Amino acid sequence: MIKIKDLEKIYRTEEVETVALNKLTFNVNDGEFVAVMGPSGCGKSTLLNILGLLDDPDGGSFLFNGIEVAHFNERKRADLRKRNIGFVFQSFNLIDELTVFENVELPLIYLGVKGTERKERVEKVLDKMQIMHRRNHYPQQLSGGQQQRVAVARAVVNNPKLILADEPTGNLDSSNGNEVMQLLTELNEQGTTIIMVTHSEHDARYSHRIIRMLDGQTVTENILV
Amino acid sequence: MFKNYLKTAWRNLMKNKMFSLINILGLTIGITVCMMIFLFIMNEFSVDNFQTKGKNIYRVMRGFNNASQPTPYLSGPYAPALLNDFRDDIKQAVRVMPSNDLFVVGNTSFNEKKVYLTDSGFFDLFSFPLILGNAATALKNPNSIVLTETSAKKYFGSVNNAMGKVVEMDKQFQLKVTGIAKDVPSNSHMDFDMVVPIENFTHDDGFNVWINNRLFVYVLLNEHTNVAALEKKFGAFMMKYMGHDMQQYGLHFTLSLTPLKKIYFEPASEFDNIKHGDKTVVLIFLSIAVLILLIACINFMNLSTIRAVERSKEVGLRKVLGALRNHLVWQFIGESILLTTISCILSVGLLLFLMPWYNQILGYSLTVSWNALPIYLFLIGVIVIVGFLAGSYPAFFLSAFSPIQALKGKLRIGKGGSLFRQALVVVQFSISVFLIIGTIIIIKQMSYVKSKQLGYNKEQVVIVRIDNNDIFNNKTVFKKQLQNNSNIASVSLMSGEPGGFFDDFNFDVEGHNEPWKARTEFADFEFVKTLGIKIIAGRDFSSQFPTDTTDAVLINRTAAAKLGWTPEQAVGKWIQNKFRDDNKRRIIGVVEDFNFLSLKENMDALVIAPNDDRRVALVKLKPGNIQAGIAAVKDVYNKVATAYPFEYSFLDQKFDELYKSDLRQQTILSVFACLAIFIACLGLFGLASFTATKRFKEIGVRKVLGSSVQNIVILLSKDLLKPVLIATCIALPVGYWAMDKWLQNFAYKTSLSWWVFVLAALLTFGIALITVSVKAVKAAVANPVKSLRSE
Repeated sequence: MIKIKDLEKIYRTEEVETVALNKLTFNVNDGEFVAVMGPSGCGKSTLLNILGLLDDPDGGSFLFNGIEVAHFNERKRADLRKRNIGFVFQSFNLIDELTVFENVELPLIYLGVKGTERKERVEKVLDKMQIMHRRNHYPQQLSGGQQQRVAVARAVVNNPKLILADEPTGNLDSSNGNEVMQLLTELNEQGTTIIMVTHSEHDARYSHRIIRMLDGQTVTENILV
Repeated sequence: MFKNYLKTAWRNLMKNKMFSLINILGLTIGITVCMMIFLFIMNEFSVDNFQTKGKNIYRVMRGFNNASQPTPYLSGPYAPALLNDFRDDIKQAVRVMPSNDLFVVGNTSFNEKKVYLTDSGFFDLFSFPLILGNAATALKNPNSIVLTETSAKKYFGSVNNAMGKVVEMDKQFQLKVTGIAKDVPSNSHMDFDMVVPIENFTHDDGFNVWINNRLFVYVLLNEHTNVAALEKKFGAFMMKYMGHDMQQYGLHFTLSLTPLKKIYFEPASEFDNIKHGDKTVVLIFLSIAVLILLIACINFMNLSTIRAVERSKEVGLRKVLGALRNHLVWQFIGESILLTTISCILSVGLLLFLMPWYNQILGYSLTVSWNALPIYLFLIGVIVIVGFLAGSYPAFFLSAFSPIQALKGKLRIGKGGSLFRQALVVVQFSISVFLIIGTIIIIKQMSYVKSKQLGYNKEQVVIVRIDNNDIFNNKTVFKKQLQNNSNIASVSLMSGEPGGFFDDFNFDVEGHNEPWKARTEFADFEFVKTLGIKIIAGRDFSSQFPTDTTDAVLINRTAAAKLGWTPEQAVGKWIQNKFRDDNKRRIIGVVEDFNFLSLKENMDALVIAPNDDRRVALVKLKPGNIQAGIAAVKDVYNKVATAYPFEYSFLDQKFDELYKSDLRQQTILSVFACLAIFIACLGLFGLASFTATKRFKEIGVRKVLGSSVQNIVILLSKDLLKPVLIATCIALPVGYWAMDKWLQNFAYKTSLSWWVFVLAALLTFGIALITVSVKAVKAAVANPVKSLRSE
């Protein structure tokens, strides 16, 4: 599904040049669950942003489903993103002004899905995530675990092929964290490819493969399954 | 998607109540002011538009010795002669003579000031609809009268009751009510309460004397008539009828035509005292409205942009979830339009609430026609334009965020954005300071005019108009009886009180070959004494010199100077009014200049002569007992003019009347200046809140490190007040320039003192400082633990 080769990303300010990704190369196959680990500043988040088409690489190649996307313009990236990729963030990133239902509905709105179908699909996914009873609540009225379940629901509502998770359990206690990891595992078992950035060895063990990064490069790959 | 945007917008409004309040309040005030001005301008430009034949109606104007401003006053014979001589061009001519008459019904009598004596075609030519009666025939019979709805109710209780009833006019005519007209709308240059056939007066003395002037002539031209060509033929017309007079008096008269629609915006003067509008006032109002709305828009732009930081997560997320930039641009513009719509709805309410007050300031009733299209077009226009204007910058600014940065909350409003915001604040406060300067200067000028030594005594002087036959016929008795009263200091009868009417005449003067033009006052011997004017050379009129009536004049210092004499040299020279005097008169004295004209006009040459022409009596009361003095005047008046209600005013009240439009500008400008600075400060308050929030942590760290509350307040205020300071620097010279220009309107002007500018600067700065400090102090005294915990 994903093939990256010699991927580069350099951040420049007036005085300092920081190499975030240094000729990074790896592949992710369909249906895989990959954990990316490494110390702070090793380039994990930069990688995730590029994989999520939120950021441009400065060099190298990035094939998404066989299509070169490294230099797509904003419109094309947005289009590819909304059809294929779901995001789960450490800090949940729900919109405070929207209810649980409306937050989950948002990706479908941007996909142009009709109102009745939207309702059906949102309810189905809320049911699956067991937060149907909270559909009319606002994010601030939910616990951290519940918020992350909403975030996962939002990430999967448009049936993406790929879910990018950025430390999805970072803000959760261990029991809520385990629940979220369980959810991701289930999704993966149903065929969704997952790439997860994490600091937690515990969480990483849910994956099939761990990619360890340092200074913008992969240092080791452990295959768990 | 739209529903989602609307929801987000609404919840955002509700969530940030303070920001919403600042925005909505500012915009509501701005839009309300705009609507008020819009209604005013609509009304000004709609004057006489309701006249269906208006396109072909012209008012005949008479030029005088190529004086810059022609007058609309003509005499009786013009209209029939014009109709007769220009049959091909002039379809109809209607004379309109404004008059002031006594009307009696039963035991009640009224001195009516808005009476029109007109030809019978009046209601045919002009579109003043009759509620009852037939427009074509209502004035056919000389013994008829048409009342307006209000007058009908005043005299007879109801409209229906009035028809067919009889009113007595000037104790002379019995007139039958043959029609009831709708009240004259405020957007008409003509204004009357009753219309009487002019036929009753065509045999009066002087009515048919060509050179006299007392009435307006309106003509209806044929469709095909070429106005310029017709005007060219007027030269011969004037020679035919006025040639003799022109030669005799050394005058040159011309005739011209003013289209009905243009009459209203012709300059007002004592030679054309119908209702006039002033395009400068319209322009000033318009600019102020736009400026205030701009200030409100800037608040919106600034506050939305800084709020962007709080909404960056939302923007980032929407982008991650697939929103394109234009989705977001439209979302934010949509929010802006929503806010503007809410403000518009509130403005309509506020406007309705303020209308009575506004009408009072304007001095007439504006008619808001809620069923007319323009007002809705205006509202929709405001929503769209203000919505876009206020929403576009935040929209493009917000939508340009990189989603990664936005999500991480690492968003920085770049230096450019901050500069832009500061520039906007500079614009806001420049406008505010400018308006404050304007207000102070206008107030200063008005009080200068009010307190200026006018060169005559205006205190305790009562004005009684000699405006009916009884008082006119008995004016000498009236004067004599008052002079014998112990409460009265002196009485003088004259043609015009200071600030009133001073006609232009041509004179032959000793040692001057050309006719010389001067203003005239025709007055009795008590004129100088009653007004307390100073004689600087020669002597006053005196009953010890009986020939003074026929042989003497006084002139003012300016007249002497214009004739090239010192006051002393002027005494003894001869002068002759080419129109009024049969013989030469001697200048027996020179008076010090006194401001007999408005202070907007320069001092002019004045000749004071005892010729006939008594239009007003000035009664100087003895100090101490004003009430007894007025009672005495009333008593005598009621004896000599039994049927007429006694009416009077004070000479020192003349001020308010003379400078009515300036005083009106003063009031409106003061209100608007306050509103402008209020809205600007609302915005500044918003910015201060934002800064305090943004620097919450910094303040905490500084306090932990030992900074005092005072230091922090200074730290926060400094940055916010910088644009206010720059604005002041910009507005001061602009204000100086603009007000210097405004003062050019006045011949006598106050100085543009330095303190005005310092005061304006201090006021603005003080208000801004208070606004900012409220927030800064609150932030500075907060417990630093709170701010540091948030990390």
